[in-house]
Amino acid sequence: MRSRKRINLFYIPVLILFGVFVVYPFIDGIRISFTNWNGFLPTYNYIGLTNYINMVSDQWFHNVFRNTIIYGFGSTIIQQIIGLSMALFLDSKFKARGLVRTISYLPIMIAPLIMGYIIFFIVQFRGGALNDLVGLFGMDRLDWVGVPNRAVTVILLVNSLQYMGVSMVIYLAGLQNIPNMYKEAASVDGIGPWNTFWHITLPLLAPALSASVVINLIGGLKLFDIIRALSPAAPSSGTHSLVTFLTYQYFNIEQAGYSAAIGVVTFAFILIVSIVVIKLLDKMEVVL
Amino acid sequence: MTHYIKRITQYTMGNFRFNVKIKELVSIKETTKLEMEDFMKKILVAILAIVLLFALAACSESEETTAPVTLEIRSNIPGAGNDAIREVIAAFTEETGIAVDFDNPSGYEDLMRTRMATGDMPDLFTTHGWAVIRYGTFLRPLNDQPWVSRVSSQIESIVTDHQGNLMVLPVDIDIAGLVFNRDILNEVGVDPGDIRTWDDFADACELILAAGYIPIFIGGADDWMLGQAADWIPPSLLITYDGDNHRDALLDGTFDWNHYGRFVDMLTDWIDRGFFNEDVTTADYDTLTRMLGQGEVAFSFTGNHAAMDAAGNGPANIGMMPLPAYFAGDTPSLIAGESVTFGIWKDTPHEAEALLFLEFIARPENVAKIAQARGNVAGFNGVEVDLGFLTQDFNRWSNIRTFPYFDRVYLPGGMWEDLCNTSLGLFNGTMTRQAVIDHMQQSYDSRLADWFEARGIN
Repeated sequence: MRSRKRINLFYIPVLILFGVFVVYPFIDGIRISFTNWNGFLPTYNYIGLTNYINMVSDQWFHNVFRNTIIYGFGSTIIQQIIGLSMALFLDSKFKARGLVRTISYLPIMIAPLIMGYIIFFIVQFRGGALNDLVGLFGMDRLDWVGVPNRAVTVILLVNSLQYMGVSMVIYLAGLQNIPNMYKEAASVDGIGPWNTFWHITLPLLAPALSASVVINLIGGLKLFDIIRALSPAAPSSGTHSLVTFLTYQYFNIEQAGYSAAIGVVTFAFILIVSIVVIKLLDKMEVVL
Repeated sequence: MTHYIKRITQYTMGNFRFNVKIKELVSIKETTKLEMEDFMKKILVAILAIVLLFALAACSESEETTAPVTLEIRSNIPGAGNDAIREVIAAFTEETGIAVDFDNPSGYEDLMRTRMATGDMPDLFTTHGWAVIRYGTFLRPLNDQPWVSRVSSQIESIVTDHQGNLMVLPVDIDIAGLVFNRDILNEVGVDPGDIRTWDDFADACELILAAGYIPIFIGGADDWMLGQAADWIPPSLLITYDGDNHRDALLDGTFDWNHYGRFVDMLTDWIDRGFFNEDVTTADYDTLTRMLGQGEVAFSFTGNHAAMDAAGNGPANIGMMPLPAYFAGDTPSLIAGESVTFGIWKDTPHEAEALLFLEFIARPENVAKIAQARGNVAGFNGVEVDLGFLTQDFNRWSNIRTFPYFDRVYLPGGMWEDLCNTSLGLFNGTMTRQAVIDHMQQSYDSRLADWFEARGIN
């Protein structure tokens, strides 16, 4: 019991780094969220909860919050569907399976900002590959990311497709841990492939599902790079997430206090969503 | 060595409240208390010796009078202007022996905001239009410098604060208007001198559109182009006409932003009439200069640098013309503002060297070199600059009135982004006329207190 209260000396450097680069900025960020600091002048005033109250009536914040939910939950759902399908496919034996696995995982190796620019070259109005393709069918070219809803959809799809490899790898690991005897027993009992998947494979994949959902959800809620690469910096582009919006508030319009308040809300939102989702998935694992 | 490490670890462990399981990593024998005290004394003496050594080193350094100085200079100037600045810096170092750490980093404004927040500024830096309002509190006034009397009156007031302090050395002046493709205007039979009002401008755009060209190109991916249009058109609606203007109201904080509706209506009308490129929200600056240079675009709301870049992109004739008036009784005008400016951080430890650098830059040959590379007139009297193909336009419009950038004088700091944001909102349909007006009013009102403080108004 005594040893539990003690701390290993070798933790100290890490704790110092964590304190300096995470705890202190976080606490100071909370403090700044109660000020009207513009981000560079040495003087500012404490304005209480004004920044948080302003958020309630800020139409851009509402739009940004909606987008963040779309990016977070939308990406997670798409990634689970495609990731699991890919994993089931790649769990079977066929020629060049290793190559297909590698190609499926490859997009994750690309930095998201670079991925955003690559996609921009594909969807851009002038000279974009997609519009060239559309032109072949005699259709008018489109400014794919020029209209907010369409741009949000493109960003959602790009993020989902880039990170589906994460889900695929997690599910593949889960599938390979399921003993064959269950499937063989089901086969002997004459249970079809769909029922085998639904009643045997999926329940045994529950831990993998939890890990994959939480990882993808947090990634989606923090989405930044692809949005910056595919759309203008101004929030009227209609594509901002909470993270891009808070950087815009700090660096572009000199409202560091408001930016810090958005940061605090973002942190609280992701924390609450993660806890709720983890609890739900834990319950689901028990039920399954 | 291992022995001492073990000893130090033992002592550290003994004095920390944490009892470490270090025994699992290195087996340490028990040490008596006397041994420990003796060991600690040695450690204490060693630490004192190290501290004294550093102190002596510091003293000897502070007494060193011939230590080489390296000036840190940061700039936001890209392209040919940057090359010219580098050449001048190299000549300065050669002449004075003072080394310069120079860079023009991308994300300059963000970098400078961070450095202002940490109170660690470069010795010298460029101020890109914000010598007074944003950077004013960080700059050393330069009124006492020998070159001040030569500064052009066209730029002097723009870089002087409300107390009469000249904040920066203005190398050149950004005198700008609409950049246009002369070949297209010739083809549709429009002389830029005949475009005196925005109605004339719209008529010309109709002719250009009918001829199969894009009348106005804006690239929203580089959203400063959206902001530039919203910065250059409103002065003709709100500032330039003596018979109907809102200069005082804008400056004293009583401006009713419903008047900004004039600009919103004009822009919306142009959008409806198809004057802009279809990809306004996603096109970029490079596409503009390419299409302007290749004769596909007639007008752009960009500085003369776009004329220079477009000329390098194709065979087309590029020119510059004044911004039309809104009221029939008013006359066209040009925009004037800071271009390349250098200011000195007020707390720089190298003030003498920084002042020497400004004296060097202020020499006519150095001013001319940088101004010419930028395609701008010099910020100093008596310095001739060869403006190449823009010379004919500068000569033609030499009697046209100049007005400062709208946001730099009439709007509080930070509202430039509101201009970009609301313009984009009009183009992509996310903002209505009233939403734009409300947004501008709210942003303006919320920034007034800081703005008044920066201008010394109670």
